[in-house]
Amino acid sequence: MKSREKFSKEMNNLGRLGVLAMIILLFAVPTIFGLYHNAFPTFGEFIKAASGLLVLFVPIAISEVFIYTPIFGSATYITFITGNIMNLKVPIAQNAQELMNTTKGTEESDVITTLAISVSAIVTITLIALGVLLLVPLEPIMTSSAVSTASAYVLPALFGALVVGLLRSTGEIRVKGKVKAGIVPFILLFLVNIFVMNTYDYSGILLIPMIPLTVFFAWILFKKKQITIEIIEREVSK
Amino acid sequence: MNDTFFSIVNSGLLYIMVGIVIAFVVFLSLVFAKKAWKRAIELGYTKDQLLTVIKSTSIATIVPSLAIVIGLFALAPVLGNPWPWLRLSVLGSVTYELMAADMAASSMGVPLTDLPTVGIDAFVNIMFVMTVGISAGLFVLLFFGEKIQKGIGSMGKNKQSFGIVALECFMIGLLATFLPAFFTKGIVSVLTFFTSTVITISMGLIVLKYKISWLKDFILAFALIGGMASSVLWTGLLG
Repeated sequence: MKSREKFSKEMNNLGRLGVLAMIILLFAVPTIFGLYHNAFPTFGEFIKAASGLLVLFVPIAISEVFIYTPIFGSATYITFITGNIMNLKVPIAQNAQELMNTTKGTEESDVITTLAISVSAIVTITLIALGVLLLVPLEPIMTSSAVSTASAYVLPALFGALVVGLLRSTGEIRVKGKVKAGIVPFILLFLVNIFVMNTYDYSGILLIPMIPLTVFFAWILFKKKQITIEIIEREVSK
Repeated sequence: MNDTFFSIVNSGLLYIMVGIVIAFVVFLSLVFAKKAWKRAIELGYTKDQLLTVIKSTSIATIVPSLAIVIGLFALAPVLGNPWPWLRLSVLGSVTYELMAADMAASSMGVPLTDLPTVGIDAFVNIMFVMTVGISAGLFVLLFFGEKIQKGIGSMGKNKQSFGIVALECFMIGLLATFLPAFFTKGIVSVLTFFTSTVITISMGLIVLKYKISWLKDFILAFALIGGMASSVLWTGLLG
């Protein structure tokens, strides 16, 4: 059997190669299309259209790599290449880790998450392709008010389903009292939501300060022994 | 202008290029899945267990994916079919793509819905803006991905260290960010959240009490369908 390091190295090499190919392919599409139709934007036109978006999304896109890598492990590459992280891949990863009772940060967790994310990506791509094929006959259903309403509430439904699993640990390690780390950040943001504004549309950018803040409180509570680690002496689900 | 615009943005050339990119992503996903499967077997998982993961994942993916397909119906009338097909199939997210297209068009002084009347130059510009905006994460992964992975790996090595706590607390941080927004967004959002929670807990209890282990694989899918369906009911009653 090969070592964990060898497998990890293999996944990293494959992931980086995939990412490089993806960057080239993604930029090739508008470049070839623009050149073919002689409709290439000037740098000034591009900056005018892009500046607002880049200021908002580039910091989010960069910080997401640091925020989500601990959740996805080796599956981070394929997760980012296929996208829809918060609204699909986080719950799928959590679901698979719970099903196989794996411990975060272990190779078992990485492998199971990679399998789940890859399968999920293929299912999503297939469904979107079907959507393109059936665009005309499906339109009355997909644009109906019931379907539009239901799809607007996909995130509350996802988090409602996940909250039970997220609050307990899976695998051989139990982090007791970890919920306490989220209490102050939760209250702070709750007050902002009541007295200032609803932060629903800004959740992506808010993760940048909120995750380090939660980890900071976890560190204080860990030092004060309010958060403790318990190792369960039993076989994980294998 | 409209007919010319749509014949260009729905042209065979764009379909072929988009098809190639999506085919590559499917191929890459299959390679990742195959390697993970092989390694999982080496680690001692059985084929049945791995098939359970595949089955549960596939079913749980369907409902959130339908929300992504709806994004296609929102973007296709202004950007044609192939480009939204690509943007929703790889990278980004349905919310990002909708917002990015809208922001890029607004910055050019054009409402997104008027794009077909403006011309193909603006469309190509939007293609570039949407691509650049979402690619930053890929560049970070390309240059620093391995280092970040190693850092995370070392966090999980010592089972008594704070690293383990930090790994677990990332998910708590996600909850602390999203829950206040859900709870104050409106009563339908709160009720949808709790409907989904109640379905999850109830099904978990049924699995434990009646020892129906296969039902465990469907909890996420049922909770999602139930939660989203309930949002229509709550909107009708209270919205």
